[in-house]
Amino acid sequence: MSDPLVFQMGEFPAEFPVELQYARNHMWAELRGDVYRFGFTAYAVRLLQDVYFLDWNFDAGVDLQPQQELGSIESKKAESSLYAPLGGKLTLFNEQLMADPSGINLDKYGDGWLFEIHPADDNTATDLMNAAEYLVDLEDVWKITQRTIKGQLS
Amino acid sequence: MGFPVFISLGQSHHPAKRELEKEIAGQLHQHPDFQVTMLTNLYDLKPNGPAIEALRAVEGEMVVFSWNYQRAAHWILDRNDIRGSVGEVELQPDSGDDDDELEDELEEDDGEQVPRVLDGRPLPDRQIYCVNLQSSSSAEDFIEEAERIAASSLGQWIQGDPSEEQLDRFRNPINDTAQGPGSLPPTIEEENGRRWYPVIDFSRCTNCMECVDFCLFGVYGVDRAETILVEQPDNCRKGCPACSRVCPENAIVFPQHKTPAIAGAPVNVGGLKIDLSLLFGKPEAADVAARERDEQLMLAGRAPVDSDEQPLEKRQLGKPAGPADELDALLDELETLE
Repeated sequence: MSDPLVFQMGEFPAEFPVELQYARNHMWAELRGDVYRFGFTAYAVRLLQDVYFLDWNFDAGVDLQPQQELGSIESKKAESSLYAPLGGKLTLFNEQLMADPSGINLDKYGDGWLFEIHPADDNTATDLMNAAEYLVDLEDVWKITQRTIKGQLS
Repeated sequence: MGFPVFISLGQSHHPAKRELEKEIAGQLHQHPDFQVTMLTNLYDLKPNGPAIEALRAVEGEMVVFSWNYQRAAHWILDRNDIRGSVGEVELQPDSGDDDDELEDELEEDDGEQVPRVLDGRPLPDRQIYCVNLQSSSSAEDFIEEAERIAASSLGQWIQGDPSEEQLDRFRNPINDTAQGPGSLPPTIEEENGRRWYPVIDFSRCTNCMECVDFCLFGVYGVDRAETILVEQPDNCRKGCPACSRVCPENAIVFPQHKTPAIAGAPVNVGGLKIDLSLLFGKPEAADVAARERDEQLMLAGRAPVDSDEQPLEKRQLGKPAGPADELDALLDELETLE
Protein backbone atom coordinates (compact mmCIF):
# COMPACT_ATOMS: atom_id res chain seq x y z
CA MET A 1 0.00 0.00 0.00
CA SER A 2 1.40 3.38 -0.99
CA ASP A 3 0.79 6.44 1.13
CA PRO A 4 -2.43 8.23 0.35
CA LEU A 5 -2.36 11.63 -1.32
CA VAL A 6 -3.41 14.51 0.89
CA PHE A 7 -5.43 17.60 0.10
CA GLN A 8 -5.48 20.32 2.70
CA MET A 9 -9.03 21.60 3.33
CA GLY A 10 -8.05 24.53 5.50
CA GLU A 11 -6.64 22.87 8.60
CA PHE A 12 -8.04 19.48 7.70
CA PRO A 13 -5.93 17.00 5.75
CA ALA A 14 -8.21 14.95 3.50
CA GLU A 15 -6.61 11.68 2.47
CA PHE A 16 -7.14 9.88 -0.82
CA PRO A 17 -5.83 6.33 -1.25
CA VAL A 18 -3.95 5.99 -4.52
CA GLU A 19 -5.38 2.50 -5.08
CA LEU A 20 -8.85 3.99 -5.70
CA GLN A 21 -10.33 5.91 -8.60
CA TYR A 22 -12.40 9.05 -8.20
CA ALA A 23 -15.55 10.52 -9.71
CA ARG A 24 -16.23 14.23 -10.04
CA ASN A 25 -19.10 14.06 -7.59
CA HIS A 26 -16.68 13.21 -4.77
CA MET A 27 -17.17 9.51 -4.72
CA TRP A 28 -14.35 7.01 -4.81
CA ALA A 29 -14.59 3.96 -7.05
CA GLU A 30 -13.04 0.57 -6.65
CA LEU A 31 -13.20 -2.03 -9.40
CA ARG A 32 -14.35 -5.36 -7.96
CA GLY A 33 -14.68 -7.93 -10.71
CA ASP A 34 -17.00 -6.33 -13.24
CA VAL A 35 -18.64 -3.83 -10.93
CA TYR A 36 -17.45 -0.58 -9.42
CA ARG A 37 -18.04 -0.04 -5.73
CA PHE A 38 -18.60 3.61 -4.77
CA GLY A 39 -18.37 5.56 -1.53
CA PHE A 40 -17.85 9.12 -0.37
CA THR A 41 -14.33 10.56 -0.47
CA ALA A 42 -12.74 12.21 2.54
CA TYR A 43 -13.56 15.53 0.88
CA ALA A 44 -17.29 14.76 0.83
CA VAL A 45 -17.37 13.30 4.33
CA ARG A 46 -15.52 16.32 5.73
CA LEU A 47 -18.16 18.62 4.24
CA LEU A 48 -21.08 16.47 5.37
CA GLN A 49 -19.76 15.54 8.81
CA ASP A 50 -22.06 13.23 10.83
CA VAL A 51 -24.54 11.51 8.52
CA TYR A 52 -28.00 11.13 10.04
CA PHE A 53 -30.11 9.82 7.22
CA LEU A 54 -29.64 8.23 3.84
CA ASP A 55 -32.39 7.25 1.47
CA TRP A 56 -32.43 5.81 -2.03
CA ASN A 57 -35.15 6.50 -4.58
CA PHE A 58 -35.40 2.89 -5.74
CA ASP A 59 -34.31 -0.65 -5.11
CA ALA A 60 -31.18 -2.19 -6.57
CA GLY A 61 -31.35 -3.68 -10.07
CA VAL A 62 -32.15 -0.57 -12.07
CA ASP A 63 -30.44 0.93 -15.10
CA LEU A 64 -29.02 4.38 -14.48
CA GLN A 65 -28.17 7.33 -16.65
CA PRO A 66 -25.06 9.24 -15.59
CA GLN A 67 -26.05 12.00 -13.14
CA GLN A 68 -29.46 10.45 -12.56
CA GLU A 69 -30.84 11.35 -9.14
CA LEU A 70 -30.35 8.37 -6.83
CA GLY A 71 -31.50 9.50 -3.45
CA SER A 72 -30.80 11.95 -0.69
CA ILE A 73 -28.65 12.44 2.36
CA GLU A 74 -29.02 14.44 5.56
CA SER A 75 -26.10 15.17 7.84
CA LYS A 76 -25.11 17.47 10.64
CA LYS A 77 -24.00 20.16 8.20
CA ALA A 78 -25.93 19.61 5.03
CA GLU A 79 -28.60 17.94 3.06
CA SER A 80 -28.29 17.01 -0.55
CA SER A 81 -29.65 14.92 -3.34
CA LEU A 82 -27.27 12.25 -4.61
CA TYR A 83 -26.54 11.47 -8.25
CA ALA A 84 -25.12 8.58 -10.21
CA PRO A 85 -21.35 8.90 -10.76
CA LEU A 86 -21.65 6.89 -13.98
CA GLY A 87 -24.24 5.14 -16.09
CA GLY A 88 -24.96 1.45 -15.82
CA LYS A 89 -26.89 -1.01 -13.73
CA LEU A 90 -27.03 -0.33 -10.03
CA THR A 91 -26.55 -3.83 -8.65
CA LEU A 92 -26.31 -3.35 -4.90
CA PHE A 93 -26.87 -0.82 -2.13
CA ASN A 94 -25.04 -1.11 1.17
CA GLU A 95 -27.95 -2.25 3.34
CA GLN A 96 -25.95 -1.75 6.54
CA LEU A 97 -26.19 2.00 6.04
CA MET A 98 -30.00 1.93 5.95
CA ALA A 99 -30.13 0.94 9.59
CA ASP A 100 -27.22 3.13 10.62
CA PRO A 101 -25.69 5.61 8.16
CA SER A 102 -22.91 6.55 10.58
CA GLY A 103 -20.83 3.80 8.93
CA ILE A 104 -20.03 6.47 6.34
CA ASN A 105 -18.24 8.48 9.02
CA LEU A 106 -16.58 5.51 10.69
CA ASP A 107 -15.04 3.85 7.64
CA LYS A 108 -15.57 5.86 4.47
CA TYR A 109 -13.16 3.89 2.33
CA GLY A 110 -14.27 0.52 3.71
CA ASP A 111 -17.53 -0.59 5.35
CA GLY A 112 -19.07 2.81 4.69
CA TRP A 113 -19.33 2.18 0.92
CA LEU A 114 -22.59 3.26 -0.73
CA PHE A 115 -23.45 1.12 -3.76
CA GLU A 116 -22.12 -0.88 -6.69
CA ILE A 117 -22.64 -0.17 -10.37
CA HIS A 118 -22.06 -2.39 -13.35
CA PRO A 119 -20.95 0.16 -15.96
CA ALA A 120 -23.02 0.54 -19.13
CA ASP A 121 -19.93 0.17 -21.33
CA ASP A 122 -16.17 0.05 -20.93
CA ASN A 123 -15.77 3.70 -21.89
CA THR A 124 -17.59 4.97 -18.83
CA ALA A 125 -14.62 4.04 -16.70
CA THR A 126 -12.58 6.71 -18.48
CA ASP A 127 -14.75 9.30 -16.69
CA LEU A 128 -13.03 8.26 -13.49
CA MET A 129 -9.84 9.93 -12.31
CA ASN A 130 -6.85 8.66 -10.42
CA ALA A 131 -6.00 10.21 -7.05
CA ALA A 132 -3.53 12.71 -8.53
CA GLU A 133 -6.03 13.91 -11.14
CA TYR A 134 -8.70 14.21 -8.47
CA LEU A 135 -6.38 16.38 -6.38
CA VAL A 136 -5.85 18.75 -9.32
CA ASP A 137 -9.63 18.91 -9.70
CA LEU A 138 -10.03 19.68 -6.01
CA GLU A 139 -7.81 22.76 -6.22
CA ASP A 140 -10.54 24.54 -8.16
CA VAL A 141 -13.45 22.81 -6.49
CA TRP A 142 -12.25 23.78 -3.02
CA LYS A 143 -12.42 27.49 -3.95
CA ILE A 144 -15.95 27.08 -5.26
CA THR A 145 -16.94 25.05 -2.21
CA GLN A 146 -15.73 27.74 0.15
CA ARG A 147 -17.60 30.41 -1.78
CA THR A 148 -20.76 28.28 -1.74
CA ILE A 149 -20.58 27.68 1.98
CA LYS A 150 -19.86 31.32 2.75
CA GLY A 151 -22.64 32.39 0.40
CA GLN A 152 -25.15 30.20 2.20
CA LEU A 153 -24.01 31.26 5.64
CA SER A 154 -24.26 35.00 5.03
CA MET B 1 -53.80 1.04 32.77
CA GLY B 2 -53.14 4.52 31.52
CA PHE B 3 -54.28 6.20 28.35
CA PRO B 4 -52.48 4.36 25.52
CA VAL B 5 -49.76 6.33 23.77
CA PHE B 6 -47.56 4.99 20.99
CA ILE B 7 -44.41 6.70 19.78
CA SER B 8 -43.21 5.67 16.35
CA LEU B 9 -39.48 6.30 15.97
CA GLY B 10 -38.28 7.99 12.80
CA GLN B 11 -35.72 6.68 10.33
CA SER B 12 -33.38 9.64 10.72
CA HIS B 13 -30.49 9.46 13.15
CA HIS B 14 -30.66 13.21 13.65
CA PRO B 15 -29.76 13.71 17.34
CA ALA B 16 -32.39 16.42 17.78
CA LYS B 17 -35.11 14.10 16.48
CA ARG B 18 -33.90 11.17 18.56
CA GLU B 19 -33.72 13.40 21.62
CA LEU B 20 -37.27 14.66 21.09
CA GLU B 21 -38.63 11.12 20.81
CA LYS B 22 -36.78 10.08 23.96
CA GLU B 23 -37.85 13.10 25.92
CA ILE B 24 -41.52 12.67 25.07
CA ALA B 25 -41.33 8.95 25.79
CA GLY B 26 -39.51 9.47 29.08
CA GLN B 27 -41.81 12.18 30.36
CA LEU B 28 -45.02 10.42 29.42
CA HIS B 29 -43.67 7.19 30.86
CA GLN B 30 -43.27 8.89 34.21
CA HIS B 31 -46.77 10.32 33.95
CA PRO B 32 -49.07 7.89 35.79
CA ASP B 33 -51.95 8.46 33.41
CA PHE B 34 -50.29 7.21 30.27
CA GLN B 35 -49.31 3.78 29.09
CA VAL B 36 -46.48 4.40 26.65
CA THR B 37 -45.00 2.07 24.04
CA MET B 38 -42.31 2.90 21.51
CA LEU B 39 -42.39 1.36 18.04
CA THR B 40 -40.09 1.26 15.05
CA ASN B 41 -41.20 3.49 12.18
CA LEU B 42 -44.98 3.13 11.73
CA TYR B 43 -44.93 3.08 7.93
CA ASP B 44 -42.40 0.23 7.79
CA LEU B 45 -44.18 -2.06 10.26
CA LYS B 46 -44.95 -5.60 9.17
CA PRO B 47 -48.68 -6.13 8.53
CA ASN B 48 -48.98 -8.77 11.23
CA GLY B 49 -45.90 -8.00 13.27
CA PRO B 50 -45.80 -7.46 17.03
CA ALA B 51 -46.13 -3.67 16.82
CA ILE B 52 -49.28 -3.79 14.69
CA GLU B 53 -50.68 -6.45 17.04
CA ALA B 54 -50.03 -4.17 20.02
CA LEU B 55 -51.83 -1.30 18.28
CA ARG B 56 -54.72 -3.59 17.36
CA ALA B 57 -55.06 -4.74 20.95
CA VAL B 58 -56.16 -1.24 22.00
CA GLU B 59 -59.93 -1.05 21.83
CA GLY B 60 -60.48 2.50 22.99
CA GLU B 61 -58.96 5.84 22.19
CA MET B 62 -55.24 6.25 21.72
CA VAL B 63 -52.56 8.73 20.77
CA VAL B 64 -50.00 7.83 18.12
CA PHE B 65 -46.96 10.06 17.71
CA SER B 66 -45.08 9.63 14.44
CA TRP B 67 -43.04 11.62 11.91
CA ASN B 68 -45.96 11.66 9.53
CA TYR B 69 -48.78 13.99 8.70
CA GLN B 70 -51.91 13.11 10.65
CA ARG B 71 -53.72 11.96 7.52
CA ALA B 72 -50.85 9.64 6.57
CA ALA B 73 -50.58 8.05 10.01
CA HIS B 74 -54.34 7.69 10.41
CA TRP B 75 -54.79 5.84 7.14
CA ILE B 76 -51.70 3.66 7.65
CA LEU B 77 -53.40 2.47 10.84
CA ASP B 78 -56.75 2.07 9.09
CA ARG B 79 -55.21 -0.14 6.42
CA ASN B 80 -53.96 -2.37 9.25
CA ASP B 81 -57.44 -2.65 10.66
CA ILE B 82 -56.76 -0.18 13.45
CA ARG B 83 -59.78 1.95 12.85
CA GLY B 84 -61.57 4.86 14.41
CA SER B 85 -62.54 8.39 13.55
CA VAL B 86 -59.92 11.12 13.23
CA GLY B 87 -59.33 12.61 16.65
CA GLU B 88 -58.91 16.37 16.68
CA VAL B 89 -55.28 17.28 17.21
CA GLU B 90 -54.58 20.91 18.04
CA LEU B 91 -50.82 20.67 17.75
CA GLN B 92 -50.15 20.78 14.02
CA PRO B 93 -47.07 21.57 11.94
CA ASP B 94 -46.77 25.20 10.98
CA SER B 95 -48.14 25.43 7.47
CA GLY B 96 -46.65 28.88 7.08
CA ASP B 97 -50.16 30.20 6.77
CA ASP B 98 -51.78 31.98 9.66
CA ASP B 99 -55.07 32.59 7.95
CA ASP B 100 -56.81 29.62 9.50
CA GLU B 101 -60.28 31.10 9.41
CA LEU B 102 -60.22 31.62 5.71
CA GLU B 103 -58.86 28.13 5.31
CA ASP B 104 -61.73 26.69 7.32
CA GLU B 105 -64.19 28.65 5.27
CA LEU B 106 -62.78 27.35 2.05
CA GLU B 107 -62.96 23.86 3.39
CA GLU B 108 -66.64 24.28 4.11
CA ASP B 109 -67.27 25.89 0.75
CA ASP B 110 -65.98 22.76 -0.84
CA GLY B 111 -69.44 21.41 -0.20
CA GLU B 112 -69.97 19.44 -3.37
CA GLN B 113 -71.53 16.27 -1.98
CA VAL B 114 -69.65 13.44 -3.61
CA PRO B 115 -70.12 10.12 -1.81
CA ARG B 116 -66.88 8.97 -0.24
CA VAL B 117 -65.91 5.38 0.45
CA LEU B 118 -65.90 6.14 4.16
CA ASP B 119 -69.61 7.10 4.05
CA GLY B 120 -70.55 3.48 3.54
CA ARG B 121 -68.11 2.12 6.04
CA PRO B 122 -69.08 2.48 9.70
CA LEU B 123 -66.18 3.23 12.03
CA PRO B 124 -65.75 1.87 15.53
CA ASP B 125 -66.95 4.36 18.11
CA ARG B 126 -63.59 5.74 19.12
CA GLN B 127 -61.14 8.37 18.05
CA ILE B 128 -57.51 7.89 17.13
CA TYR B 129 -55.27 10.89 17.63
CA CYS B 130 -52.27 10.88 15.30
CA VAL B 131 -49.82 13.59 16.23
CA ASN B 132 -47.12 14.68 13.79
CA LEU B 133 -43.75 14.92 15.55
CA GLN B 134 -42.78 17.65 13.09
CA SER B 135 -45.29 19.95 14.77
CA SER B 136 -42.88 21.27 17.37
CA SER B 137 -39.31 20.89 18.59
CA SER B 138 -40.36 21.08 22.23
CA ALA B 139 -41.29 17.91 24.12
CA GLU B 140 -43.48 20.04 26.43
CA ASP B 141 -45.82 20.85 23.55
CA PHE B 142 -46.37 17.16 22.90
CA ILE B 143 -46.89 16.33 26.58
CA GLU B 144 -49.45 19.10 26.82
CA GLU B 145 -51.21 17.87 23.71
CA ALA B 146 -51.32 14.31 25.08
CA GLU B 147 -52.75 15.62 28.36
CA ARG B 148 -55.31 17.71 26.52
CA ILE B 149 -56.39 14.76 24.39
CA ALA B 150 -56.59 12.41 27.36
CA ALA B 151 -58.64 14.95 29.33
CA SER B 152 -60.96 15.75 26.43
CA SER B 153 -61.67 12.12 25.72
CA LEU B 154 -62.08 11.10 29.35
CA GLY B 155 -65.73 10.41 28.78
CA GLN B 156 -65.02 7.59 26.35
CA TRP B 157 -61.90 6.43 28.06
CA ILE B 158 -63.08 6.07 31.64
CA GLN B 159 -66.05 3.78 31.28
CA GLY B 160 -69.15 4.96 33.08
CA ASP B 161 -69.66 8.33 34.58
CA PRO B 162 -66.66 9.70 36.46
CA SER B 163 -67.31 12.07 39.31
CA GLU B 164 -65.80 15.54 39.33
CA GLU B 165 -63.42 14.33 42.04
CA GLN B 166 -62.23 11.42 39.91
CA LEU B 167 -61.71 13.67 36.93
CA ASP B 168 -59.79 16.07 39.09
CA ARG B 169 -57.53 13.29 40.24
CA PHE B 170 -56.87 12.48 36.61
CA ARG B 171 -56.12 16.06 35.66
CA ASN B 172 -53.84 16.68 38.64
CA PRO B 173 -52.20 13.39 39.30
CA ILE B 174 -50.14 12.69 42.40
CA ASN B 175 -46.95 11.38 40.97
CA ASP B 176 -46.55 8.43 43.32
CA THR B 177 -46.37 5.71 40.71
CA ALA B 178 -43.83 7.56 38.65
CA GLN B 179 -40.76 5.76 37.38
CA GLY B 180 -37.28 6.96 38.12
CA PRO B 181 -36.00 9.79 36.00
CA GLY B 182 -34.53 8.82 32.68
CA SER B 183 -36.32 5.52 32.41
CA LEU B 184 -37.90 4.80 29.05
CA PRO B 185 -41.04 2.87 28.15
CA PRO B 186 -40.80 -0.53 26.45
CA THR B 187 -39.98 -0.57 22.76
CA ILE B 188 -41.41 -3.04 20.28
CA GLU B 189 -38.55 -3.41 17.86
CA GLU B 190 -38.94 -4.87 14.42
CA GLU B 191 -36.06 -5.44 12.04
CA ASN B 192 -37.79 -4.02 9.01
CA GLY B 193 -36.37 -2.76 5.78
CA ARG B 194 -37.78 0.47 4.43
CA ARG B 195 -41.10 0.05 2.69
CA TRP B 196 -42.75 2.17 -0.01
CA TYR B 197 -46.45 1.93 -0.80
CA PRO B 198 -49.53 4.11 -1.18
CA VAL B 199 -52.02 4.74 1.61
CA ILE B 200 -55.61 5.58 0.70
CA ASP B 201 -57.49 8.29 2.58
CA PHE B 202 -61.01 6.83 2.42
CA SER B 203 -62.55 10.04 3.69
CA ARG B 204 -61.60 11.49 0.31
CA CYS B 205 -61.62 8.43 -1.99
CA THR B 206 -64.71 8.15 -4.18
CA ASN B 207 -63.87 4.71 -5.56
CA CYS B 208 -63.43 6.18 -9.04
CA MET B 209 -60.82 3.54 -9.99
CA GLU B 210 -58.45 5.95 -11.76
CA CYS B 211 -55.60 4.51 -9.67
CA VAL B 212 -56.33 0.85 -10.40
CA ASP B 213 -56.43 1.68 -14.11
CA PHE B 214 -53.27 3.72 -13.95
CA CYS B 215 -50.93 1.54 -11.91
CA LEU B 216 -49.42 -1.18 -14.06
CA PHE B 217 -47.68 -2.91 -11.17
CA GLY B 218 -50.75 -4.52 -9.64
CA VAL B 219 -50.65 -2.56 -6.39
CA TYR B 220 -54.36 -1.85 -6.35
CA GLY B 221 -57.25 -4.25 -6.24
CA VAL B 222 -60.86 -4.34 -5.13
CA ASP B 223 -62.45 -6.07 -2.17
CA ARG B 224 -65.61 -8.18 -2.26
CA ALA B 225 -67.72 -5.04 -2.10
CA GLU B 226 -65.91 -3.77 -5.22
CA THR B 227 -64.15 -1.10 -3.23
CA ILE B 228 -60.63 -0.05 -4.06
CA LEU B 229 -57.84 -1.18 -1.76
CA VAL B 230 -54.07 -1.34 -1.71
CA GLU B 231 -53.90 -5.05 -2.29
CA GLN B 232 -50.19 -5.65 -2.95
CA PRO B 233 -48.41 -2.75 -1.27
CA ASP B 234 -44.94 -4.20 -1.76
CA ASN B 235 -45.41 -4.40 -5.54
CA CYS B 236 -45.13 -0.63 -5.49
CA ARG B 237 -42.04 0.91 -7.11
CA LYS B 238 -39.84 2.69 -4.61
CA GLY B 239 -39.91 6.45 -5.09
CA CYS B 240 -42.80 6.45 -7.58
CA PRO B 241 -45.75 8.60 -6.46
CA ALA B 242 -47.42 8.71 -9.88
CA CYS B 243 -50.83 7.32 -8.86
CA SER B 244 -51.24 10.01 -6.24
CA ARG B 245 -50.94 12.59 -9.01
CA VAL B 246 -53.69 11.03 -11.09
CA CYS B 247 -56.06 10.70 -8.13
CA PRO B 248 -58.69 13.39 -8.72
CA GLU B 249 -59.48 13.63 -5.00
CA ASN B 250 -55.95 13.79 -3.60
CA ALA B 251 -56.81 10.65 -1.65
CA ILE B 252 -53.56 8.75 -2.22
CA VAL B 253 -50.80 9.45 0.25
CA PHE B 254 -47.13 8.44 0.10
CA PRO B 255 -46.11 9.27 3.67
CA GLN B 256 -42.38 9.44 2.93
CA HIS B 257 -42.55 11.61 -0.20
CA LYS B 258 -40.72 14.95 -0.16
CA THR B 259 -43.72 16.93 -1.43
CA PRO B 260 -46.06 17.71 1.48
CA ALA B 261 -49.19 17.44 -0.67
CA ILE B 262 -48.22 13.86 -1.58
CA ALA B 263 -47.06 12.99 1.94
CA GLY B 264 -50.50 13.74 3.37
CA ALA B 265 -50.36 17.41 4.35
CA PRO B 266 -53.82 18.84 5.02
CA VAL B 267 -55.47 19.09 1.64
CA ASN B 268 -56.09 22.82 1.75
CA VAL B 269 -52.63 23.86 2.82
CA GLY B 270 -51.21 25.99 0.06
CA GLY B 271 -54.59 26.11 -1.60
CA LEU B 272 -54.77 29.81 -0.94
CA LYS B 273 -51.70 30.71 -2.87
CA ILE B 274 -52.40 30.62 -6.52
CA ASP B 275 -49.91 28.52 -8.37
CA LEU B 276 -49.70 29.79 -11.91
CA SER B 277 -46.98 27.39 -12.95
CA LEU B 278 -49.44 25.28 -14.91
CA LEU B 279 -50.28 28.31 -17.00
CA PHE B 280 -46.62 29.04 -17.47
CA GLY B 281 -45.75 25.68 -18.93
CA LYS B 282 -45.41 23.25 -16.01
CA PRO B 283 -46.42 19.80 -17.22
CA GLU B 284 -49.88 18.69 -16.15
CA ALA B 285 -50.03 16.26 -13.23
CA ALA B 286 -51.24 13.54 -15.58
CA ASP B 287 -48.20 14.03 -17.83
CA VAL B 288 -45.82 13.93 -14.88
CA ALA B 289 -47.57 10.81 -13.64
CA ALA B 290 -47.35 9.11 -17.04
CA ARG B 291 -43.66 9.96 -17.27
CA GLU B 292 -43.00 8.64 -13.76
CA ARG B 293 -44.86 5.44 -14.57
CA ASP B 294 -42.89 5.01 -17.82
CA GLU B 295 -39.66 5.44 -15.88
CA GLN B 296 -40.72 2.71 -13.49
CA LEU B 297 -41.83 0.41 -16.30
CA MET B 298 -38.45 0.80 -17.98
CA LEU B 299 -36.63 0.28 -14.68
CA ALA B 300 -38.57 -2.95 -14.35
CA GLY B 301 -37.51 -3.95 -17.87
CA ARG B 302 -40.97 -3.43 -19.36
CA ALA B 303 -42.13 -1.35 -22.29
CA PRO B 304 -43.34 2.18 -21.59
CA VAL B 305 -46.88 3.14 -22.53
CA ASP B 306 -47.10 5.52 -25.45
CA SER B 307 -49.33 8.17 -23.94
CA ASP B 308 -50.05 9.77 -27.32
CA GLU B 309 -51.46 6.58 -28.70
CA GLN B 310 -53.11 5.53 -25.50
CA PRO B 311 -54.15 8.69 -23.73
CA LEU B 312 -55.13 8.30 -20.12
CA GLU B 313 -58.77 7.47 -20.25
CA LYS B 314 -60.81 9.60 -17.93
CA ARG B 315 -63.33 7.71 -15.85
CA GLN B 316 -65.09 10.83 -14.78
CA LEU B 317 -66.19 12.16 -18.12
CA GLY B 318 -69.19 13.87 -16.61
CA LYS B 319 -66.96 16.22 -14.71
CA PRO B 320 -65.98 19.42 -16.43
CA ALA B 321 -62.25 19.57 -17.03
CA GLY B 322 -59.79 21.38 -19.23
CA PRO B 323 -57.68 24.48 -19.11
CA ALA B 324 -60.51 26.97 -19.48
CA ASP B 325 -62.29 25.67 -16.38
CA GLU B 326 -59.09 25.66 -14.40
CA LEU B 327 -58.48 29.26 -15.34
CA ASP B 328 -62.06 30.14 -14.38
CA ALA B 329 -61.56 28.51 -11.01
CA LEU B 330 -58.33 30.42 -10.50
CA LEU B 331 -59.96 33.72 -11.34
CA ASP B 332 -62.86 32.96 -9.01
CA GLU B 333 -60.41 32.28 -6.26
CA LEU B 334 -58.69 35.59 -6.94
CA GLU B 335 -61.98 37.44 -6.67
CA THR B 336 -62.97 35.83 -3.38
CA LEU B 337 -59.65 36.86 -1.94
CA GLU B 338 -60.12 40.53 -2.73
